[in-house]
Amino acid sequence: MPVFELFRALGDPCRLEMVHRLSAGELHTITSVSNGLEISRQGARKHLQILADADLIHFESKGRETTVRLDREKLEQGRAFIVELEARWDRRLEALRQYVDDETVARTPL
Amino acid sequence: MQDSIVREITVKASKERVYKAITDPKEIISWFPDAVEDGTLEVGQRPIFVFSNEEHKTRIYVEAARPFEYFAYRWVPGGAGITGDVLAVPNTLVEFYIVELEVGTKITMKESGFASLPAEVAQESLNQNNGGWDHMMSRLEKVMNQE
Repeated sequence: MPVFELFRALGDPCRLEMVHRLSAGELHTITSVSNGLEISRQGARKHLQILADADLIHFESKGRETTVRLDREKLEQGRAFIVELEARWDRRLEALRQYVDDETVARTPL
Repeated sequence: MQDSIVREITVKASKERVYKAITDPKEIISWFPDAVEDGTLEVGQRPIFVFSNEEHKTRIYVEAARPFEYFAYRWVPGGAGITGDVLAVPNTLVEFYIVELEVGTKITMKESGFASLPAEVAQESLNQNNGGWDHMMSRLEKVMNQE
């Protein structure tokens, strides 16, 4: 379930801060994206790997440095999923309202 | 992006009427799934909701039911079509709150847990993380809207 992986990947303050930094559009390295987050280098790698596994970020090797790039399309997929679910609930609740408020429908099942 | 969806609607019907429409398998099929198979809507039951128009079946787990005010179940949303053990996979909690007003009845639907941890710790994490997650998501929303 890729979309759940996406939400789970975002469900952590450290990782969300990383996504926040990456979304500002600047080029980031593993160091700059995790700077000041009070996590070890190893911890930072672990968090970044979870984001990468959810396809939210991609690593790119440039010379000696590894840069980190945010996948905006993937982030947008998560939002689109929620928007679609909201629309479904609106339709269902409207159907419920019509059902319980419609006096012409028999109230006791046959 | 967010961890929960909240929808509210006010109807003319009484809370008893609304509760029955949500929790009676014979009634819920008039507005929600097209059929309820392999179980009832009593607490602890794991029936399957059949959606003919969306062409899928999905198993739910009935978590709580308090007559005329509250009904809750877990499932995997979005048409994933899970018919196995819903508690064994990341799932969301769907809650219906029914409150009688002076005129009419307010129904609040809350679906939460999009960032849920594996099922065995999901309940705890829902209780502990909610405020923080909403705060983080609203920040992320701001970031995305800046583009």
